[in-house]
Amino acid sequence: MIPALRVSGLRVAYGSIVAVDSIDLEVREGEIYGLLGPNGAGKTSALSAIEGLLRPAAGDIVIGDVDARAHPLQAKAQLGVQLQTTSFHSSLTLVEIVRLYAGLYGVTLTSAQIRELLGQINLQKEASKRFRELSGGQQQRFSLLIATIHDPALVLLDEPTAGLDPQARRQLWDRIERFRKEGRSILLTTHSMEEAQAVCDRVAIMDHGKILTVGTPAALIAAHRDDPQVRQAAHGPVTLEDVFIALTGRELRD
Amino acid sequence: MRTSLSLVLTFALPLILLVATGLGKNSAALGGTEFRISLALTVGLVSIGTVGYSLAIARDRDTGVFQRLRVTPAPTWTIMVSRWIVQLGAVLVMAIVVLVVAALFVGVTLPPQDYLFTVLVALLGSAVFLSIGQAIVGLIASADTLNAAGRLLYVPLIGLSLFGDTDRLGTTVELVSRWSPGGCLETLLSAAMGATPWSGQLWGALFASFGYTVVFAVIGIRWFRWVSH
Ligand SMILES: Nc1ncnc2c1ncn2[C@@H]1O[C@H](COP(=O)(O)OP(=O)(O)O)[C@@H](O)[C@H]1O
Ligand SMILES: [Mg+2]
Repeated sequence: MIPALRVSGLRVAYGSIVAVDSIDLEVREGEIYGLLGPNGAGKTSALSAIEGLLRPAAGDIVIGDVDARAHPLQAKAQLGVQLQTTSFHSSLTLVEIVRLYAGLYGVTLTSAQIRELLGQINLQKEASKRFRELSGGQQQRFSLLIATIHDPALVLLDEPTAGLDPQARRQLWDRIERFRKEGRSILLTTHSMEEAQAVCDRVAIMDHGKILTVGTPAALIAAHRDDPQVRQAAHGPVTLEDVFIALTGRELRD
Repeated sequence: MRTSLSLVLTFALPLILLVATGLGKNSAALGGTEFRISLALTVGLVSIGTVGYSLAIARDRDTGVFQRLRVTPAPTWTIMVSRWIVQLGAVLVMAIVVLVVAALFVGVTLPPQDYLFTVLVALLGSAVFLSIGQAIVGLIASADTLNAAGRLLYVPLIGLSLFGDTDRLGTTVELVSRWSPGGCLETLLSAAMGATPWSGQLWGALFASFGYTVVFAVIGIRWFRWVSH
């Protein structure tokens, strides 16, 4: 079975700043893969390169069986994307935005189908509102709808639960689980260890542009349980967060 | 809120100018009725093509609208071109409204072919002012700066063009004014409305307008960034 995403030797630089320093990662089919790291670790830069928003300095990106660097438009057609910060045309209503993006992805939807889709995410009453008039949770649900409007095999979510209340967060986790049941693969970034443990099959811990370790949350805990720094970080039984802190250090990031 | 304000500015400002320049005794000093119409059209073009366009692009760049579009399989150039088409459509509507108001309330009616010429010149003018707008968003990354200073653009673009037909401020000012983007546009508009005969100066204005479009478009596209930081 070919992986949903295979990245090798990926390097992203902004001038002299190396944001992503030769990383490899592989998201298997039907897998929820978490990219964990403190602020500035390079998570968004790595996703941006995969999404085709910036040109990497080096590396290969294969989405399904498409070489994303050689065939960017074909790759984008297979990819569902939710950016870390996103917005839609301020003059359009939700219905119009759905129609626009469906069109951009080559999907035709009737008005009844659009209403049905908005109903599924509890936004039927907001159908003729503008995006900026929605609450944070509503915006989140809506941009996830847009991200999956074309039924993509691989979905990239950049800090999808940042700023959400616990109810909205749980609901999003359920949606992500449902995506997987529908046969999709998911690559998400987060700094919530709770989230990583709750939804991710495997996680990679990233810092300073490098991937430090990869594995299931349980395997990472087992592998690093006896590191002196992990022991020192732990208050009681070792958690994923203890492993994270031990690997990425204690100093604050912006 | 901001959208509706700019909409008002876009349509109300040219019309207010059109009517207000006809009030008072000194109106003739500014020029004839054709001059008033061309001034109104120029203001509308600056408002839609330069100020409105650059503010909208800067805001959408800041909030991530463009990045979201760029992860779709639509080719990147279609994102910009679709914006230009929207602005051209707005210019078309604005020009028709101004000409209708001029016919109904100012008493200026033109032969049919002059209406056609006027609208064509307005569209040519859109290219000039849109490319200036593009250069501005290419060179200024911050939406805040543009929000604060964007409307100041009216001063050089319109203010300058006012003195193209008077040497009261000296011939240098007159020369700069006449060959400024707004001045060229007014020269062409008044010819299109049949107020001035076709002359060598019109060719000059036409060439200058093409030149402005090319130079500003190249600057605006070459230095454009999709993200503001
Ligand atoms: N457009 C940019 N220009 C210059 N440096 C950037 C840019 N975007 C990100 N960086 C830098 O690259 C590094 C990684 O940033 P980012 O990928 O956003 O990390 P994360 O998403 O993990 O917080 C940081 O040091 C950040 O300051
Ligand atoms: Mg980030």
